[in-house]
Amino acid sequence: MIQEMKISLPFQKQAYAVFFVVILSLVRGVTYSDEIGIALEAPMAILAASFCADTYTQEITSRRSEIQRLYPMKKRIYSVYRRIMIQEIFLLSIAAAGYGLFYLFQHPGINRIGQNGAENEIRQFLVYFAAVAVTLGFWGLLSNLLSCLFRNMWMGIGGCLLLWLITNSSSGDRYFGAWNLFSYTFRKIGDSSDLSWIRGKIVCICIGIVTAMVLPEIIEKRG
Amino acid sequence: MGMKIEDLTVTFKNHVTAIDHANLEIPKGIFGLLGENGAGKTTLMRVLTTVLSPAGGTVTIDGIRYNEENYEKIRKKIGYLPQEIDLYPSLTVQECLEYMGALSGISKQACKERIDCYLAKTSLSEHRRKKIKQLSGGMKRRVGLIQALLNEPEFLIVDEPTTGLDPEERIRIRNLLVDFSEERTVLFSTHVVEDLTATCDRLAVMKKGKFLYAGNMKELLAQAEGHVWVCKAADETMARKLEREYHVSSKQYMGGELRIKLISERPPQIECLPCETTLEDAYIYITNSEPQASVTDL
Repeated sequence: MIQEMKISLPFQKQAYAVFFVVILSLVRGVTYSDEIGIALEAPMAILAASFCADTYTQEITSRRSEIQRLYPMKKRIYSVYRRIMIQEIFLLSIAAAGYGLFYLFQHPGINRIGQNGAENEIRQFLVYFAAVAVTLGFWGLLSNLLSCLFRNMWMGIGGCLLLWLITNSSSGDRYFGAWNLFSYTFRKIGDSSDLSWIRGKIVCICIGIVTAMVLPEIIEKRG
Repeated sequence: MGMKIEDLTVTFKNHVTAIDHANLEIPKGIFGLLGENGAGKTTLMRVLTTVLSPAGGTVTIDGIRYNEENYEKIRKKIGYLPQEIDLYPSLTVQECLEYMGALSGISKQACKERIDCYLAKTSLSEHRRKKIKQLSGGMKRRVGLIQALLNEPEFLIVDEPTTGLDPEERIRIRNLLVDFSEERTVLFSTHVVEDLTATCDRLAVMKKGKFLYAGNMKELLAQAEGHVWVCKAADETMARKLEREYHVSSKQYMGGELRIKLISERPPQIECLPCETTLEDAYIYITNSEPQASVTDL
């Protein structure tokens, strides 16, 4: 596990992820605390896509994949899953810390009409945390899958960026509605009883599961 | 038992034929694969390690035929060191080997014991806590060799392990390969003739995807015997003329005279003497002869 942490979380990757969240919390303006989740979800998705794109392709570029061919498939796949998990946990901690940084740097209002109190803030954070966990998992897995499929991390990042641009747009919201991958971002923030955005996250979970299941086949075929 | 290649053909998507109906038998011990860059050595090794699938022909290892159903069995028998490989730069030597050992399915205890044993054999014990990125090129190659040996393979396939190394490291790597060939088959590719002279008794010469020669080194030298000549060139103009007409294997200024070693099917039309054949001369002879004169496909 320690080896996998060192392999999948080199210093430069950790540094750019932290830098990204710090800059985002400084430049992306929010007025009320319930806007923080919206401000973070989509940028964190693209961060996850670029972060996880080299999970396996680093084996290809370094030619280690030629040696890995000789290893049992099960072991190889478990190592890729472990690396993804390590990266996702790191990104999730960064996403949680980023939420706090918005409070620290921007002091957003917490008294939108009809909502107040620390309890509401905690609930808001927990909902954000769950939503962003699904988002990070989905984009990380997808980006790694596309990279493995094309044997090129830039294809993983590029493919995800394209999907990100389509779904993280007003036309994406109009077309997919509550089933959009970014349904949490496009939800009605004034109405906390509206949970229809969960459908979009269910779509993410379903695609994520399929992605994780297809990955061994792709690594086996594409090396 | 060993490796047997029959009528092997490898064609890439761009229709380039990298290996063209090649036949070869690789017995136990160290076996050299010699050829210029682009001859097809790496492609052959990639087929033998199941990285590439051939377009035609058959390959067997210890009698097991290469096909998808047998890949798992075959892979357990092979250790491989590719030509260019970047091991995990942020891991220490020990961590890197433990990680690769675990991935290859060796038990923790056995892996640790083998790492200790091979680190000692390769004189890397005192460097085990160094990060891979802090090692010299030769040390990295030695770590690469250890990872290839961790699962105690019956067949060790090593692709140009001495390229880019200083003479001392090259000798060290060559000696290690000889040591490791005691109980297994070692297939060792190179384009450096002296690597083979120092290590192998049996070798194959490749050119443009074909085997021009496969067999004993002595027999290869014998084939070129009588076709190597040495002469003195009066000046540079004459030297250039000789280079145009013959295959020159070496040029050397000795005591103010230019001494030229020529490879020629027939005695050259100038004053010259026959001389002792080296593997380099034999290689030049075999790769530049008419195919029907030298092909000895097994």
